[in-house]
Amino acid sequence: MHEFSVTKSLVDLCNNEAKKNNFSNIYKIYLKIGKFTGFSPDSICFYFEHLKPNTKCKDAEIIFSEVPIRIKCTDCGKESEIEEPILVCPECGKMTIEVISGREFYVESIEGE
Amino acid sequence: MKRVKVLKSVLVSNMQRAQENRREFDRMNSLVINIIASPGAGKTSVIERIVEYFKKKRKILVIEGDIRGQIDSKRLAKLGVDVIQINTVTACHLDAFMTAQVLPKIDKKYNLILIENVGNLVCPAEFEIGEDYKLAILSTPEGDDKPLKYPLLFYLARVVVINKCDLLPYVDFSKERAKKNILRENSKARIFEVSAKTGDGFGKFCSFLEKELNAKKKKG
Repeated sequence: MHEFSVTKSLVDLCNNEAKKNNFSNIYKIYLKIGKFTGFSPDSICFYFEHLKPNTKCKDAEIIFSEVPIRIKCTDCGKESEIEEPILVCPECGKMTIEVISGREFYVESIEGE
Repeated sequence: MKRVKVLKSVLVSNMQRAQENRREFDRMNSLVINIIASPGAGKTSVIERIVEYFKKKRKILVIEGDIRGQIDSKRLAKLGVDVIQINTVTACHLDAFMTAQVLPKIDKKYNLILIENVGNLVCPAEFEIGEDYKLAILSTPEGDDKPLKYPLLFYLARVVVINKCDLLPYVDFSKERAKKNILRENSKARIFEVSAKTGDGFGKFCSFLEKELNAKKKKG
């Protein structure tokens, strides 16, 4: 249920960006969402429908783009893409891991006029 | 129709507010710990033990985050520690703005500020509130697989406290498996085994906190 406040922030952010760009309406919001975040696209869409009326997002849809989890082993140097966030190097089995991507949660762009 | 780049985090306003909170806490020279665990894991009981250990030598403030009521605040106030309550009403986590609202109520300098987040392993992990670091509590009846089921919290927590170790003979929980699972999310996590019921393990854990307090003091 924390997606409610997050979706509110998303609508506020997009409204501000629309103002900056002199958009009266946003039609598309391109949202990057990492697989190692606690946010669910379905919940965001659910709350978005409730929050978008009477805002510049009222006619907008969200285009989600999922960012995979990529890790780098600082021991063997190997970079890997993993499905589940278990931070063990698939190559050498060590846990000396840096998360390179998967924590993203940002608006890449908006489309409007 | 035009497409424009934005490249801004959805959580940008919360992150900025968290940074302001952190600056404020740093000005007070306080070590601030965001305590996150599931309901019933023993957050308040662990805080009680920390307060008992430090209350004669350090100034401590507890900020209590609960959906409703003041049950934990009243419990802690009995120990003579200063407590500020935040009721989130509907929200399942504390955010930086709720935390900012209590800043004006902090009228003296505290060495240690313990913030008890709403009981939840999911949502509180995503919201920075201005803490120095997150401390996760995992209690033995919850099971040793929880770090793998709620990976984000254990990835982000600098310290993990395994509580209710007095129940180990009665529950299906392996300390070795739990530690392995924690380290598979966060190989740098500092792990402590305690029982808030008996007090076991708090000597070691509180000595660690003491070092952290001294380090913060030097930094400030």
